[in-house]
Amino acid sequence: MINYSDLVIKYRKTVIFTTILITLVLGYFLKDMKINADIISYLPKSDPVVKLFNYIGEQYGGNLSAMIALETDDIFNKETIERINHLTQEFKKLEDVSYVTSLANVLDIRRDEEGTLQISRLIDEYNLPNTPQDIQKLKNYTLSKTMYRGRLVSDDAKATLIICRLMEGADKIKTANQLKEIIKKSGVKGKVYYGGLPFQMMDISKIILSDLKLLIPLVSLLIVVTLFLSFGTLRGVLLPLLSVAFSTIWVLGIMVIFRIPITVLSDAIPVILIAVGSAYGIHVVSKFDEEQMNEVNKIIRSKKALHEVGVPVMLAAVTTMAGFLSFIFGSYLSAIREFGIFTSLGVFFAWIISVTFIPAVLSLLKAKGKVVSLDNRIERKSVLTNLMDKLGEFVLKNEKIIIAGGIAIILVCIFGMTKIERKVDMLDYFKPGTPIRMTEEMMENKFGGSIPIQILVKGDIQDSTVLKEMKKMGKYLESQGAHNPQSVADLIEEMSDVMGEGKTIPDSKDKVGNLWFLLEGEEILSQLVNPDKTEAVIQATIVNVDTARIRRLVENIEKYIKNTNTTLFTFTQTGMPSIYQHLDDSVMRSQFTSLIIAIVLVYICMVFLLHSFTGALIGLVPIVFTLFVVFGLMGFTGIPLDIATVLTGGITIGVGIDYSIHFVNRFREEFKKDKTELEALDKTLETTGKAILINVMAIMLGFLVLVFGNLVPLQRGGILMAISMISSGFAAIILLPAIILMTKAGFIGDFSRLINGVRNHFGSNDK
Amino acid sequence: MMKKSISYCVLVAGLLLLPNFNNWAQEKSLNADEILAKVDDVINAPEDQELKVNLILIDKDGKEKLREMNMLQKGSEKRMVKFLSPADQKGIGVLSLPNDIMYLYLPAFNKTRRIASHVKNTKFAGTDFTYEDMEAIRYSEKYIPEILKQVDNFIILQLKPKAGVKTDYSKLIMWVKSDNFCLTKIEHYDKGNTLYKVRTSEKFEKLGKYWISKESAMEDLKARHKTKMIMVDVRFDSGLSDDMFTERYLSR
Repeated sequence: MINYSDLVIKYRKTVIFTTILITLVLGYFLKDMKINADIISYLPKSDPVVKLFNYIGEQYGGNLSAMIALETDDIFNKETIERINHLTQEFKKLEDVSYVTSLANVLDIRRDEEGTLQISRLIDEYNLPNTPQDIQKLKNYTLSKTMYRGRLVSDDAKATLIICRLMEGADKIKTANQLKEIIKKSGVKGKVYYGGLPFQMMDISKIILSDLKLLIPLVSLLIVVTLFLSFGTLRGVLLPLLSVAFSTIWVLGIMVIFRIPITVLSDAIPVILIAVGSAYGIHVVSKFDEEQMNEVNKIIRSKKALHEVGVPVMLAAVTTMAGFLSFIFGSYLSAIREFGIFTSLGVFFAWIISVTFIPAVLSLLKAKGKVVSLDNRIERKSVLTNLMDKLGEFVLKNEKIIIAGGIAIILVCIFGMTKIERKVDMLDYFKPGTPIRMTEEMMENKFGGSIPIQILVKGDIQDSTVLKEMKKMGKYLESQGAHNPQSVADLIEEMSDVMGEGKTIPDSKDKVGNLWFLLEGEEILSQLVNPDKTEAVIQATIVNVDTARIRRLVENIEKYIKNTNTTLFTFTQTGMPSIYQHLDDSVMRSQFTSLIIAIVLVYICMVFLLHSFTGALIGLVPIVFTLFVVFGLMGFTGIPLDIATVLTGGITIGVGIDYSIHFVNRFREEFKKDKTELEALDKTLETTGKAILINVMAIMLGFLVLVFGNLVPLQRGGILMAISMISSGFAAIILLPAIILMTKAGFIGDFSRLINGVRNHFGSNDK
Repeated sequence: MMKKSISYCVLVAGLLLLPNFNNWAQEKSLNADEILAKVDDVINAPEDQELKVNLILIDKDGKEKLREMNMLQKGSEKRMVKFLSPADQKGIGVLSLPNDIMYLYLPAFNKTRRIASHVKNTKFAGTDFTYEDMEAIRYSEKYIPEILKQVDNFIILQLKPKAGVKTDYSKLIMWVKSDNFCLTKIEHYDKGNTLYKVRTSEKFEKLGKYWISKESAMEDLKARHKTKMIMVDVRFDSGLSDDMFTERYLSR
C-alpha cells in the first residue's frame, strides 16, 4: 500500500492530467448517447417464449403497431367520420407506415338486399356517408358486427381506433412523432389517446431524458449541501463531487463505446453513483484534513493519509461493487444485467478517482490555515456527541433487550415477507395519470385491454379441422377472460355466411380454398396467416390483472393446448402473459441468487478484513437484519417486488456492509488500545458512529431523489433503499455492538481482561 | 379509327430503321393529348384476346408463388378470368362487364354471386394489381397528360387525374416508346405523392398486327411485393362471341 501511495504522489501531475484527459475523451462520446426505450428489447432473446413473441411481432406486425384512439360523444357523426378518413389517408402517406386500419378502410364482407356480394371497405373513402340516415345505418351495422365492435369501435360507440402498422426496421419514435404531428394539425376535437409500442417508446424516451435532467442536478445539489456541511471548504465540496462526476462521465462514455443505450433502469446510474460514490472522496478528503494537523510536509502528509485511508475505502468500494455485480447472474432482463455491470464499473471508477486524482490534487494544494476535520466538526456538535454517549450507555446496559428487540423485529418482518406482492407488468412502470396509463385504462374500458396474448398455429391452415380448432381455441381464450380473439377462421366464417352457407367453417377443403380466394391480398390476412398458409396466429387481448391471475391464465391455456395438439396441427402460446410469467419466475430466482451471491462476496471481504470467520458472520448481522426489515416492509406497505425493487437486496448488502466494516474496524482499534468496552464503544460511536450517520443521511437523501423521477419502479426502489440505509446504519451502531458485547467475540480482542470490569468502569468513563 | 392507329404504330415501327427518327418525331411534335390517345389506341387495339397467363407472386423474401389463369377479353370492357391453379382455386371465375358489373363463380359451392367491386384499391387475387389497375380503361378519359421530356426513343408523360375522378393515384409517370406508342413503364404515385408502385413491361413482340409485352410486372415498393405476369399463350381476334361473357358461361 505504501508503494502505491508513493506512486500516486510521485506521478501526481500525470495522474491529474490523465484523469482529465480520459474524462474529456469519454465525455466526447456522450454526444452519441442513445436511449433504448423499447422495453420488449430488454427481454432475453434466447427465451423460447420471447423468441416466438418477437417472431410473431415481426411476421405479423404486432410489435409494430401504433394505435390512435379518438373519443367523442358518438363517433358516428359526419365530422368524425370525415376526420377518421382524413387521418387514415394522411397516416398512409408516411414513409414508415406500411398500412393503416380504421373504420374508414377496414375490410367489410356482406351480402346486400339483392344478394350481391360486397367485399369492400366498411366506408367508401370516395363516398362518405352524408345523411343522418346513412350514418345511423352505418352505426347500426358496425355495432352489429363482432369484426368491428370492441375492436375498432367501442361498445358505446364513443371511441374508435386507428391502427398504423409500421414497416420492419422503421424508426418507431420518429414515426410516432409524425403521427402525433398529423393529429395536431388536423385539429381533432375530443380526446385522443396514443397506444402501442411506438408511442410508449416515445413517452419512455421523454421520461428517461427528463428524469436525467431533473434528478442529476437534484442529487448533485444534495451532495453539495452535505459536503459543505461536513467540510465547509471548497475543496471538500469540489473534489468528491468531481470524482463522482468524472466516474459518471467515464461509465456513460464507455456505455456509448460499447453501444449500450440507456434503459429505464440505467437511467438511475448517475443518481446512484453520485449518491454512493461520493463517500469514497469524502473519506479521502477528510483523512487529508485530519493529517494536515499532524504533519507539515505536504508530500509526507499526503502519502500517510492516502496510505491509511486506502484499505477502508477499497473495502467499501469492493463490497459495493459486489452488491451491484450480484445482479448480472441469472437476470432475465438485459436492462438489469447492464445496470449491474455499469453501476459497479462506475463505483470502481469513483473509487479509483478518489484514491488517485483526489490525493494528487490535494497534495498540490496549500494547507488551509484553520482546517476543521470531519471528526472535529462533529466534535463541536455536542448534541450529537451527547446522543452518541447516551447511545453507548444504552447499548451496554441493554444488550440483551436490544438483541431481543432485533429478533422481534425480524419475526414481525418475516410475517410481513409472506405478504410481498410481485409485479412484473410493464405498464406498472408508469405513474397513474401518465399518457401511457391513461391509454391503457381507456383500452381496458373500451376495447378489452391491450395486453396481447397470441397462439401460434402450425399446420395446414386451409384444413377445415384446423380452422375449427382455431375457432374453438378463440372461444376458450374468451372463457378465460381474454377479449376479442381473432384469427383467419373468423374471416372464413364471415365469408361462408355471405355465400349463404351459414356462419360456420365449411367442411370441405375446396370450399375453404374458394372462400380464401376472396380474401387474397387483403391486408388483414398478412396479420393472421403466413403466405404459405402453413402457419397462423390467434390473437386476443387481456386487461391488466395481477400476476397471480396471469399465471393461472397462462397455465390453463398450456393445459388446454396439451390436450388439443395433434399431429395435424400444433398450438403454441406466447404473448405478454407468458412473458410476464417467465419474468416473474426470473425476478424471484434472481432475487435469491443475487442475495446469495452478494452475501457470499461480502462475507469473503469481511473475512479478509477481520481474519475471523465468526467475526465476519457477526459483521453480516446489520445487513441481514436490514434485509428482513426491507422485505418485511415491502409486505406490509404493499411495495411489490418488481424489476427495480428486486435490486434493493443486493444494493443493501453492498452499500450497507460498509457501516459494519467501519464500525467493527474502529471498535476493534479502540478496544485494542486497552480501553474498556464502554470506552471503546463511546469513542467508536463518537467518531465512526457519527460518520456513519452522516453517510446514512447523504446516501439516503441521494436515493430519495429517485422519488422525484417518473418511473414507478425507481421511485419504489429509492424509498426502499432509503429505508435500507437507515436500517443498516442504525443496526451497525446499535445491534452490532450489542451482539459483539454479548458474544464477546474473539475477533474484537480479549474480553477476558474485563470480566468484572463492565460496571466498574462505568462511572469513571463519563467525560 | 382503331385500324388506322394500328397501321400507324406499324408504320412508326418501320421508321425506326430510318436515321434521324427522333428529329422526325419532334418535327411532327404531337402534343401530350395526342400521344396519350395513341397509347390508349395501342392498348385497346385487338378486337378480342385469348390469353393464358402465369402470375408469379414474389414476396419480400423472394419467395415465389405461381398462379395460372385463362383470360378472355372482348373489346375493352368485357373480360372473363378463369383460374387453373392452385388446385384449391381451380375453376374460380371472375366475369367483368361494363358499368362495374362483376360476377364471381366459386366451383366448390357451385354458386355464382354478383360482387360489388366498387373498391378500386382492393388487390386482385393476391397480386399487386388492384381492380383499378385491371380495369380496361382509356387513360385519356381519366387523366390529363403533360410531356415531361423526350429521351432517346421514349416520351415521358406525366398524368394527373382529371377533377372528380376517383383514383388511388395522385399521378402516373409513363414511359412511352416513341416508335410504337407501347408503354414500357408506369410509375404510380400515392396520394402523398410518393412513388409506391411501378409497372414495367418488356419482351415486346409483334403478333400479327399487334404489339404485345410478353412479360410485365407490377411492384409494390411499400409492401416489397411483386407480381410478374407472363403471357404463355396469346391469340388475337379469334372472334369471341358475346355468349362467352355471361353468367351461364362463367359457371361452366
